[in-house]
Amino acid sequence: MTREEIVKQVNSLLAEEFEVNATNFTPDANVKETLNLDSLSLVDLVALVQQTYKVKIPASDLRGIQTFNNLYDYIESHLPQA
Amino acid sequence: MKYDVLIIGGGLGGLECGYILSRAGQRVLILEQGRQPGGCLQSYHRKGMEFDTGFHYAGGLDEGQSLHAAFRHLGLLELPWRRLDADNFDCVTINRHSFPFAQGHDAFANRLAEAFPAERAALHRYAGLLKRAARLQFAAFSPQSSDMDLITELMETPAYKYLYEHFKDPLLINVLSGASLKMELRPESLPLFAFLHGNGCFIESSWRLKGSGSLITDSLVQGIRAQGGEIVCQSEVQELVEKDGKLTQAVCTNGETYESRLFVSDIHPAQTCRMVRNGQRIKPLYRERIQCLPQTFGMFTVSLRFAPGKLRYFNRNHYIYRNPDVWTFHLDNRPVSGVLASCRVPEDDSGYTRQVDLLTPMNWEYCKAWKDRRDNSYEEMKKQTAGECIALAESILPGLGEAETAYTSTPLTWNRYTLTPEGSAYGLRKDCRAALQTFLSPRTPIPNLFLTGQNVGLHGLHGVTMTAFQTCAGILGKDAVWEMLNGNCKGGN
Repeated sequence: MTREEIVKQVNSLLAEEFEVNATNFTPDANVKETLNLDSLSLVDLVALVQQTYKVKIPASDLRGIQTFNNLYDYIESHLPQA
Repeated sequence: MKYDVLIIGGGLGGLECGYILSRAGQRVLILEQGRQPGGCLQSYHRKGMEFDTGFHYAGGLDEGQSLHAAFRHLGLLELPWRRLDADNFDCVTINRHSFPFAQGHDAFANRLAEAFPAERAALHRYAGLLKRAARLQFAAFSPQSSDMDLITELMETPAYKYLYEHFKDPLLINVLSGASLKMELRPESLPLFAFLHGNGCFIESSWRLKGSGSLITDSLVQGIRAQGGEIVCQSEVQELVEKDGKLTQAVCTNGETYESRLFVSDIHPAQTCRMVRNGQRIKPLYRERIQCLPQTFGMFTVSLRFAPGKLRYFNRNHYIYRNPDVWTFHLDNRPVSGVLASCRVPEDDSGYTRQVDLLTPMNWEYCKAWKDRRDNSYEEMKKQTAGECIALAESILPGLGEAETAYTSTPLTWNRYTLTPEGSAYGLRKDCRAALQTFLSPRTPIPNLFLTGQNVGLHGLHGVTMTAFQTCAGILGKDAVWEMLNGNCKGGN
């Protein structure tokens, strides 16, 4: 999966599941603020990423994911090898 | 009539929340679908004797220990608790070699070091971690910041990996894990936090009730009523009505409706979500993630009844295994190769017990074929499994075969009476690989709906009680709950 494919797919998934317009998803935008996530829906995001990409995000790593770019990076670097 | 808090389900968590909230002056209503409250704690009667289902012993009741402050607040310290043998409260037997557990962290480590002298230092480090984990759990209620980073780390560490990194002798690892039939041991998923929690409070101190687990239920029920709360049985909620983003009322299958300001659900979170049929708050993502969480295994139980003066009372629990495969034996259902044997404190102080319970894990997959068709083959399976449990336990406890009668239950029985999905004994499976998803928050997407019970946090008397206080902290505030646990609250006892 290329970086572009990840960005496109993640944006489309988040827009659908969190009902937010994907045009707000700029690389440096804050994920929690843009998607309006509280501590519960943040766990929904973690579950969604795990279910879709088989990428687990431990709590310690979650703190480091602030922007959309951080999220794309995390998924890209943790995607299981095909 | 509008209540302050409506609680769905009168299991231990629901009753404890009902007690805490009514004691804090809230107008509480508990709706229980069954004939009696208690959930996994309820007892049943056969020929004049009361048999327990889910409750066998409690841990950490001495002052300063894990459950003391919570039970003091709940009025449960007054019950007739009997301390198990100080130097042998749990006895783990593997392939006929027995290893006694002593109460108290140092005594526990020293006693096991007699059999495993090369592991003495590692045993003391483990005991130290147990002590630290217990303190952390209590400190988590403090309004001041607690060490949540360490709790998170313990939740994300596999217990199995920790044990193999800290101990050299595989037999000792089996022995240390041997008293853990009270949780589902899975090498790949069981979090260290759950393992420490499930063992820790019993190592502090271990107690049995003189009487059945219904003493706990009855005491809470009486307390709730005395504090102005109401409990209605045979009242099954079928729908929770959401209006303008909040729940407003519960509709029961008997047509009754009840209005409330706040709602607490002590039933399975997935069932709770299904009850909110037309709401906007619970999004499909939350609903689906709760729905797909796996359950822990169920239990097969044998309750043996003895004539007076036949079987000597044993003041401990026996965990008996055929082989050193404590972490995996439950994956195969047959033959029974691990069993917990517990007995009832003699009512007449005679030194002889009248009741012994035997428990062994049983998977839903194994028994679900009989869900709608309990024919002769089901009876045969129960008879054979009971025979295997008795034979294994009798290798350590001679005379078990002389019981007058044996009553059995399976996960199907559990599922039928408590409506627990898959007859699961310990609720949703906690998974260190997905700690954030499997340790649930008492909060829900609906601001006036809270969760409690063994599916949310940890299970057992200790786990459910701590979760009840957490749930109530969401309603009354963390400060108020911290004061309760430190003995500074107003009113009540």
